[in-house]
Amino acid sequence: MPNHLYHLTADEVASGIKNRDFSAQEYISQILERIEKVDVKINAFIAVDKQGAVEKACSIDKRIRDGDRTGGLSGVAVGIKDNICTKDLKTTCASKMLEGFIPPYDATVIKKLKESDAIIVGKLNLDEFAMGSTTEFSRYGPTRNPWNINYVAGGSSGGSAASVAALECAISLGSDTGGSVRCPASFCSVVGLKPTYGCVSRSGLISYSNSLEQIGSVGKTVSDVVMIMNAIAGTDENDQTTKTTRPIATATTPNTVSLDRIPKYGLHQNKRNIRVGLVKELVEGADPAVSKCIYSAVDLFEGSDCNCEDTSMKSIQYALASYYTIAMAEASSNLARYDNIRYGFDSSPEGYEWNTYFAKVRNNFGEEAKRRIIIGSYVLSAGYYGKYYLKAQKAREMIKQEIKSLFEKYDVLIAPTMPILPFKLGEKINDPLKMYQIDIDTVVANLAGVPAISIPVGFSNCLPVGLQIMANEMEEQTLFDVASTFERIVDIHRSPEI
Amino acid sequence: MVEVKIGLEIHCQLTGLQSKLFCSCQCDYRGKEPNTNICPICSGLPGTLPLLNQRAVDFASMISLALGCSIPDNVMFYRKNYFYPDLPKNFQITQYNAYGITSIGVEGKVDYGVKSTKIRRVQLEEDPGRLIYENASFYTLIDYNRAGVSLVEIVTEPDFAEPKDVRMFLNKIISIIEHLGVCETRLDGSVRCDANVSLEGGKRVEIKNVGSFRDVEKALGYEIARQKTMSVRDIEIRSETRHWDDARKITKQSRAKEEEEDYRYFPEPDIPTILLGNDFLSLLKVRMPELPDERKIRFLREYNLSDHVSQVLIDNKDLADFFESAVKIYPSSPNEIANWIVSDLLGFIDDSKKEEGSLFSGLRIEAKHMAELVRMIDQNIINRNIAKMILSQITKTGEMPSYVLDKMNTSIIDNKAIISEAIESIFESEKSAVKDAKQNPNAANFLLGKVMQLTGGRADPKIALNLIKTKLTIM
Amino acid sequence: MISKDEIRHLGWLSRLELTDSELDRYASQIDEIIRYFDKLDTISLTGSEPARSIKKVSELRNDNIHVFEGDPLEFSKNRKDGFVKGPRMV
Repeated sequence: MPNHLYHLTADEVASGIKNRDFSAQEYISQILERIEKVDVKINAFIAVDKQGAVEKACSIDKRIRDGDRTGGLSGVAVGIKDNICTKDLKTTCASKMLEGFIPPYDATVIKKLKESDAIIVGKLNLDEFAMGSTTEFSRYGPTRNPWNINYVAGGSSGGSAASVAALECAISLGSDTGGSVRCPASFCSVVGLKPTYGCVSRSGLISYSNSLEQIGSVGKTVSDVVMIMNAIAGTDENDQTTKTTRPIATATTPNTVSLDRIPKYGLHQNKRNIRVGLVKELVEGADPAVSKCIYSAVDLFEGSDCNCEDTSMKSIQYALASYYTIAMAEASSNLARYDNIRYGFDSSPEGYEWNTYFAKVRNNFGEEAKRRIIIGSYVLSAGYYGKYYLKAQKAREMIKQEIKSLFEKYDVLIAPTMPILPFKLGEKINDPLKMYQIDIDTVVANLAGVPAISIPVGFSNCLPVGLQIMANEMEEQTLFDVASTFERIVDIHRSPEI
Repeated sequence: MVEVKIGLEIHCQLTGLQSKLFCSCQCDYRGKEPNTNICPICSGLPGTLPLLNQRAVDFASMISLALGCSIPDNVMFYRKNYFYPDLPKNFQITQYNAYGITSIGVEGKVDYGVKSTKIRRVQLEEDPGRLIYENASFYTLIDYNRAGVSLVEIVTEPDFAEPKDVRMFLNKIISIIEHLGVCETRLDGSVRCDANVSLEGGKRVEIKNVGSFRDVEKALGYEIARQKTMSVRDIEIRSETRHWDDARKITKQSRAKEEEEDYRYFPEPDIPTILLGNDFLSLLKVRMPELPDERKIRFLREYNLSDHVSQVLIDNKDLADFFESAVKIYPSSPNEIANWIVSDLLGFIDDSKKEEGSLFSGLRIEAKHMAELVRMIDQNIINRNIAKMILSQITKTGEMPSYVLDKMNTSIIDNKAIISEAIESIFESEKSAVKDAKQNPNAANFLLGKVMQLTGGRADPKIALNLIKTKLTIM
Repeated sequence: MISKDEIRHLGWLSRLELTDSELDRYASQIDEIIRYFDKLDTISLTGSEPARSIKKVSELRNDNIHVFEGDPLEFSKNRKDGFVKGPRMV
């Protein structure tokens, strides 16, 4: 039995437990010990469910002893971003507005993880209501980068990436609206996936921007992410925006095939003849330290049966403005329900006039949330709807069309995940627009609804750099094939010393 | 004559559905303990998504078709953003047409009597919860049982010029809705109506909170008079919302809002665009139930009924259904059956009951009774006078006419109602004798004799004579 | 430049009552961000509609009743006789 079970990938954990190389209880107790040891430095977790985790581990071990079948993620420790509803476990969105909220139901992805026998170890830190890029807007304090705790872990799913990087759990779920899974994955040197819009159910994901967000998966390797997707992807009758068909191109005519309720993804690491488009605007717009890493990686890929070519996306100039207009508009509406009457924090409404009460309690949103609500209301207000919101949707359509035409030429598009290296805590927190601009590489995939993955591709000044790979709608398998091929080539498997 | 313009906004709950619009909670919330007919979706819990009900789209489309509207190829939903404690998400999912047609029906037309009105739009949306004012100066009680129930909103052009036209139109709408089977219009609060009133060129006043359709006519009457008075005195009529105060029978100003509401409509991201398409529409047209206008034409043609009688029948679907059921059992005399329903049976129906419960609530008569009764008349087993008495008995006991007749032929009648019926009959047919009896009390005996004859000698003579004498004195 | 009054009004629409110091702090930040959105000005509103996901009526939820087990508002602290207590309307 290896000394540190928390180093194992999801696949290694599940097979190890099923083969009875070690028990789920042994594994989970090492995980919980690890969390206790390192999370004081990292602050990835808002809450740890020790009791629940141990109980689940015991029940898995018993079933294995009894010879029963157990699920694909047997015993694997998973962390859940705290904007995904977990039944009977506090879900706060790192906000005072949901301080006391205990969901009476599980998100669909949680139900599916439980069915796969994954072990939920706790809820992970995030920017309040998933609005932010550094997890500094959490009322539970920022999550720190395991590679250097004076630096940001990225956001808004900072806890999801940091916990995996710090070996506090094997895999985690986050949410990605404009890069919120890929950004921290890049900053923390782990793998982070944003699936095709509609590929994973949003039922139980507390909405920030419904037309842009998806639940994302984080792991140490591409194989981890594939395992998560095999558990959670699929049509869901509780989310009418999930896809029910998948396009398949036959030799003669394009067609659609009914999406399996649970699609099965595999891992093929030796994909050949990959046609890669390197998005010029994004590489050139990045910090030299970042682009240097990207180019080095590209050199390695080209040596391995892969055709890499510069390409251009003209509509990228509108991407950030389009993204933030739409996201803030939807957020201003999604956050309206938080009036503290049915859920929230302790504060009796008795005696207050209702407008006064609403304004009083809603003042407990953090600064960034308030800013976005106001701007969101602005771009939707009569007189401005055409100027901002409608134009943003048009821009989005342009981006979608342009990326679709690029995918006729290329299997995948690549770019840096982030235009800069991770930066020090507090550095950008007082300049919202500067903070928004670091999302430039990631928002494109959300606007177009295409899947995108970030894989670690190097270090600069001991700080991680991530490579982003995008594929066409519902082409997750292509994405996994290319990502795992590249992963094998760059061969970065390191864990930070904590 | 100052021109009056009235437009209507009617909200109709789709009580014909099983579940709510966006979740699987039961649609029927009446009589349930507060907050026992809810789920995470309709109570607006974080993380929940709306799940559009297929059949609600069907029903709303049927209403659009029945009102002569065009139905677009695609429909979409929008969010109407505002804060209110009865709104679980602090926005309402509804439909909106400012950026292209997305609601389920537009540009329709409804005929009522000799007039018609244009329908501006029909849209599908969700009902909010209910507020209860118990200790109103300290808190409000909120019940979400109704939140999320499907509503169809019907908006007319301001085509109405008189309150009585509005009343006629509303009756027509009720009849159409009943014939479609999408809403039980007699359920409390299942159909609500707000109105907009303006005088020629003047500002529009919205009137809300009108309880029943009867009150709509009253409220409009009051508001028009109010505006005319103000106009005559040169007082400016402000554009505002007023509430109907049923107790005092006036419209009064709603609390003035501090700032104007901006609903910031935008497309609901959680609900895809719904493709209707030609197949859907043609299937819908085939499956449409018979509408009141069609039914009336058929009544005229198939049963040779008069226009007036047909109209009365179809104005209340319950009556029309009763009629057709009776005719099915005994097809030989549809006219006779129709007349009995319209002239006699209708008299038994409590007027106030017309607005609540079923038309026949409290009455035990069924179509088979009616059919049998008319058959017995046709076969000369009974005459119309006896038939009237039998009818009265049936409504109380639900016994078959032949059974009632049998009992009548053998037993003493001491039932005042039945005897009164007989007396009525005699007073009708012996008018000169009645005149005599008023002058000469002894002539009452002649009338008594006639009554005894009519009841086959079975009426209790003492009771009969008393009733006759009483009737003579009050005439 | 977006005025403080406009921001206050937007706050009202969203039931956020901003303090004077918040208004000071946000005004220039919000203005800068909205100016950035003006990048969208050159986009024409004519042309094809932005694509949305599409569903047929037959793919929607069936009209069946399913009772939620338990009380969705169980953990709410403001309850009275089953009702949820809210602030006063008068």
